[in-house]
Amino acid sequence: MDRGFLSSIELKTPKGRIYYGVTVVILTILALIVLFPFVYAFTSGLKGSLEVFNSGLNLIPRKAQWHNYRDAWEDFKMLKLFRNSFIIVTVSVLLRLTVSVMAAYSLSQLKPFGRQLVMLAFLLTLMIPSIAYLVPLFVTLGNLPIVHKSILDSYWGLWIPYAADAFGIFVLKSFFDRIPPDITDSAKIDGASSFQTLVYIVLPLSRSIIIILGILSFMNIWKDYLLPLLVISDPERQPITVRLFYVAKDYGVNLQMAAAFMALLPPLLIAILMQRYLKAGLTMGSIKG
Amino acid sequence: MKLTYALQTTRTITRPFSVLPYRLTRHLNGYLFLLPAIIVFALVAWYPIVRAFQMSFQEVSLIGESKNVGFENYELMKKDPARKIIFENSIEFASWSILLGYAVPVVVAILVREMRFGKGFFRIVYFLPSVVPVSIAVIVWRFIYDPDAGVLNEFLELFGIKGQLWLYDPKLAKPSIVAVMTWGTFGTTTLIYLSSLLDIPTELYEAAELDGASPLMRIRHITLPHLFPIMSLLFVLQILAVVQVFTEPFLFTKGGPGRRETLTPVLHIYNRAFGRADMGYAAAWSVVLVIVLVAFSAFYQIVNRRIAARQEN
Repeated sequence: MDRGFLSSIELKTPKGRIYYGVTVVILTILALIVLFPFVYAFTSGLKGSLEVFNSGLNLIPRKAQWHNYRDAWEDFKMLKLFRNSFIIVTVSVLLRLTVSVMAAYSLSQLKPFGRQLVMLAFLLTLMIPSIAYLVPLFVTLGNLPIVHKSILDSYWGLWIPYAADAFGIFVLKSFFDRIPPDITDSAKIDGASSFQTLVYIVLPLSRSIIIILGILSFMNIWKDYLLPLLVISDPERQPITVRLFYVAKDYGVNLQMAAAFMALLPPLLIAILMQRYLKAGLTMGSIKG
Repeated sequence: MKLTYALQTTRTITRPFSVLPYRLTRHLNGYLFLLPAIIVFALVAWYPIVRAFQMSFQEVSLIGESKNVGFENYELMKKDPARKIIFENSIEFASWSILLGYAVPVVVAILVREMRFGKGFFRIVYFLPSVVPVSIAVIVWRFIYDPDAGVLNEFLELFGIKGQLWLYDPKLAKPSIVAVMTWGTFGTTTLIYLSSLLDIPTELYEAAELDGASPLMRIRHITLPHLFPIMSLLFVLQILAVVQVFTEPFLFTKGGPGRRETLTPVLHIYNRAFGRADMGYAAAWSVVLVIVLVAFSAFYQIVNRRIAARQEN
């Protein structure tokens, strides 16, 4: 029987009904406030360039100017911005997952000598806020040690920093630790190499956790602002988060709102479509910090 | 015995470096899989962390050699007129954020937990702003806050409240920014509390009800104590996150609206490092900031443990 601190019988009493009604009203008002900026961006994007400045609470446009969305799409070169973001984020996520899965597999199953020290070094990056080494990171990316090359203004300058994710390594390791050793042992007896064991045994068993980490990484990297701002200065290659804000003030407010609304849609759609995975991932994320 | 024998023979067949003894190949293999992570972490985390300390004692030149200057950067920090303002701003930002945002997720989570229908709907709606890139949200919020045409002032006018300058008002700029930050993050926190609430065995509530505990007493004696460890953790995490805020003040006010009302430590580090190309000085600031944050969370942990220990006695 599903119940909270109130039982189902209590909810049927007059007092309970009032409480439940008030709760619904409060939560609905809060939901409206939370959703308001999205709706406001959408309807303001449909207004004329002067109509947006009209005084009074006119949320609905007098006549929907759908062409604003087409204009904004072309003026802001949205397709290119989305493409840049997409390339940056997808490669980063794939790299991050590959690096993290391999490291976690090694720490959990192969258990090489000195792994405690390596884990401590990974843990260190979780405990030290990244602002501590942002400036030297920028300098390092501008002049890589040993090879003395700069990867600033190239997507490698984002892909490589995003590939380092200690949180993911620890989550994956604790997941791999729970795989019964009988399964991996039997693979070994059948003559599988470590690589084959990882690909054919461990990965299929941990598909769900890898999907969750992938979605969380995708959304976090898509949102990121400071690192792409520093690394990519070529306007043609900047992701949407950096470029759209920069060019927005050159255009009318109605076009800004239309562009912002379009830019908000992909993350919102991913969140809604993937909420089944997200729910598990976010509670897991609560231990991060 | 038979099984170990079988294992040993298969190992001799399958190991990749078959000339080497088995143990050694296992360790080599292990490091082969760790290698990508070690290279990446060394390049983008471990080496920069070491460099941060080194740079804080240098006058950094991006083209030529950097010059060692001893404690000069730290000496300069003492004289920096922005230091005191940044410290006060951080405390004010943290206080506003606790005031506006700390209790909201707890209350919302308790309310949503009681819903018999539509739990999933509220959960996803409250969470939606968390996935939105801050720089895009700022475009929309900037217009909502607009003193002339912004919808917020128009809305307040319905109730006869005079329009405010919001982001342009030195007094209101901080809470205005914190409100947007709260909008963007309270959903995630709510989900964390909610999943904790769902762990409470319903038998506890049933037993309390049978013993005649009123609904408020059940919240007071069952729900809140259950949430307390997470609340205590999220309290310190929220403060740490707010003190390190950069994107919102950078995009909304550039540290303004006046001189430095919304200047945060990270914004100052950014300005010094990339505005004035004074990387050594910025590194010194980063080192001090992290030491302060780590000291704060250590202090918090100790006090917390003391209180918990006292309560148990």
